[in-house]
Amino acid sequence: MTTTLRKSSLARADAWFGVKMTSVAAISMAVLLIVPSVLTVIYSLHDVPASGVSFGEFIGLENYRVIFTSKVFWRSVEVTMIFTGGFVIFSTGIGLAMALLLNQNFIGRGFARGLLIIPWATPWLVIGILWKWYADGSVGGLNALLVGLGITSEYKNFLSDPNWALTLTIVAAVWRQASFAGILLLAGLQSLPGELNEAAELDGANAWQRLRHVIIPWLRPMLVTVTVLNIIYAFLQFDVIFAMTQGGPGDATQVLSILIYRQLFVVTQIGLGSALAVVLGAAALIGGLATVKILYRGASAT
Amino acid sequence: MTDFTTNKTTGGRLDRRTFLRGTAASALGLAAMPALMPGAAHAAFDGTLKMLAWDFQPNTIASLVDGWSGDGNPQVDVAIIPNVGYSPALQTRLRGGDEIDLYYNFAYNTQKFIDEGWAMTLNDMPGVDEMIDDMFESSRPTHVNAAGNVISVPYFSAVHTLHANERFLSEAGIDKMPSTLAEIYDASVALRDAGIVEAPYVAYWIKEFCEEYLHVYLLNEGIEAFDAEGNPVFADDPRTVGVFEWWQKMYREGLAPQSVLTDDPGKLSNEMAQGNAALFVLHHYFLSSIRALEGPESANVVLAPLGGDNHTFQMGEVLQLGNTGDEERRLAAWELAKFYGWKDAEGNFTVFEKWADAAGLAAPYAGFFTDEAVIAAFPDYYDLGQLSDIFETGSKVVPARTLPWYPDFQARVGDIVHALLLDQATPQETVDALAKAARDAADGGPKL
Repeated sequence: MTTTLRKSSLARADAWFGVKMTSVAAISMAVLLIVPSVLTVIYSLHDVPASGVSFGEFIGLENYRVIFTSKVFWRSVEVTMIFTGGFVIFSTGIGLAMALLLNQNFIGRGFARGLLIIPWATPWLVIGILWKWYADGSVGGLNALLVGLGITSEYKNFLSDPNWALTLTIVAAVWRQASFAGILLLAGLQSLPGELNEAAELDGANAWQRLRHVIIPWLRPMLVTVTVLNIIYAFLQFDVIFAMTQGGPGDATQVLSILIYRQLFVVTQIGLGSALAVVLGAAALIGGLATVKILYRGASAT
Repeated sequence: MTDFTTNKTTGGRLDRRTFLRGTAASALGLAAMPALMPGAAHAAFDGTLKMLAWDFQPNTIASLVDGWSGDGNPQVDVAIIPNVGYSPALQTRLRGGDEIDLYYNFAYNTQKFIDEGWAMTLNDMPGVDEMIDDMFESSRPTHVNAAGNVISVPYFSAVHTLHANERFLSEAGIDKMPSTLAEIYDASVALRDAGIVEAPYVAYWIKEFCEEYLHVYLLNEGIEAFDAEGNPVFADDPRTVGVFEWWQKMYREGLAPQSVLTDDPGKLSNEMAQGNAALFVLHHYFLSSIRALEGPESANVVLAPLGGDNHTFQMGEVLQLGNTGDEERRLAAWELAKFYGWKDAEGNFTVFEKWADAAGLAAPYAGFFTDEAVIAAFPDYYDLGQLSDIFETGSKVVPARTLPWYPDFQARVGDIVHALLLDQATPQETVDALAKAARDAADGGPKL
């Protein structure tokens, strides 16, 4: 009886300790995430005045109707999907390649690993400004490089060309994010037991087979994390694109986050902007969850 | 009791505002009396005023405001934020409840800010009538709305002019400075065909700025954009399609470089200074940037009027008074506004003189251009007589730009014009799309 009471008392104390330990994080989450999210959903159902003094008139799903019947929205979705596809595939793929390379033994490996951190440690906005100048049609280093290598014969205004502007924003964002992926995947590679690779090698597996059947499965949890993070980063990407093109030329780089910014902060149609934010948030969430499911289903199949 | 919309004061007591108004009224015939000069009445408010400005010469802003405080006026806490994204940042601050006594604003935001309760009308402020009387008639509709309410104070004004490389024009055999759209096209072709400059014409055609050019080019052709009610009457004018045909042709034919859709004005000034462009249309004060760059062609660049017998577009950004605090605080903010947007206590254009010296910015006051200190402050490559004439009779503001729905329209113009330039829309489709955007904005309600 006494023991039971003591256990119960201890359990309560443990539980209370747990509550105390998590309370700060829980309150922060509630204030910074849950409250704004709920407010955004409520706003999306109202015609909110720009002054924000009230929710304004309740208009139900009218904002969503406007969104889903708008060509501007669907064009923005198209741009967002292209950006996301390019960003996720290349930043993850290049990150994996960099991790594999930096996991080899070579002179200067430590220095090379140090360099990997630089793009990741640079703010997105700075990346955008750097690449805006790098891709400049008059004085940009990218043009000098392409002409020097004989790939092009003259300087090109990439950011004013709707066919190139989106590509360049993807390249700029990938340049930063690939290093982040590389760092995480390199950490995963370093935990790979050397015996696994050696055993596969003794069994006659070539490099491609070792990558496919030993390294990738080992890295799968890390790859899932990196891919999901990259999808979320891609859907929410704003800084690099805004710094480079502000969504232009025309609507060539107007991803959903820039459309939301315009609706919320420039045009101050808060209800409509909130509805767009709900749609984008849902898309990022669904995209992330779907990726987890697909990758883990692949894992259980192997 | 104070009516926050009209600033009307009721009650029988003689308060400070009533006193100041009475003083101002009795002084109409005594214009030289120092106590009536702008900023002469030191406010009774002894707290700290809050001011928000965008990031143009922050040290100058600080020194000007410190100078004002040093003359026995209240202290001012000045916050400075970047110009890019200023409007969204300002609106977000005000929506969040930030109490800002005086802030820079874009003219196209002004009536919206009044309607949202973020700014106050200035009708009853002491000296406001004198300030408006001092302005060029052409400039007044920026600061006085159709109902006669004073909604803002000038921060600076500018006129869109042509910055032209005289040497290049001469080499191309062009004797007369181009002024109309057709003349600019012909000159651009001549400059290119003569092998002088590959893409002679540059302009700040990024999305956010296309709206100003819409007015520049329509006014150049003598087309009224909006009527008094804000209806987009440009769409009914048969000449409007021609303006967009010109605009598209300039870009499609490479007379303007492909990069102008994303180039910033610093780069465009440099293109002029280096001799990579010969014709540049933007605010007159970019001549200062071009000259200051001291490129091989900087000294050959001069200003010229636009629009032939018609007009160019006169723009001006503004100061607005926030709906903050009590009457004394507002009066103190008004004193600061007068100092910053008109004259100091001695009747000098102290602030405008600084801006003229620093960057060639102008003020929409006739007296500004004849003020000796201002004349001395302007670099000698400016023809102030010519500039004053452009302000007085050669330019127009667009009164519809202060209507409450206008920011919505303004935000959409860039997408529509870029589609035209990128050959994704015909000139007629562009006219229709712009008219629809204006009507949609005026109608209100959620629209993408």
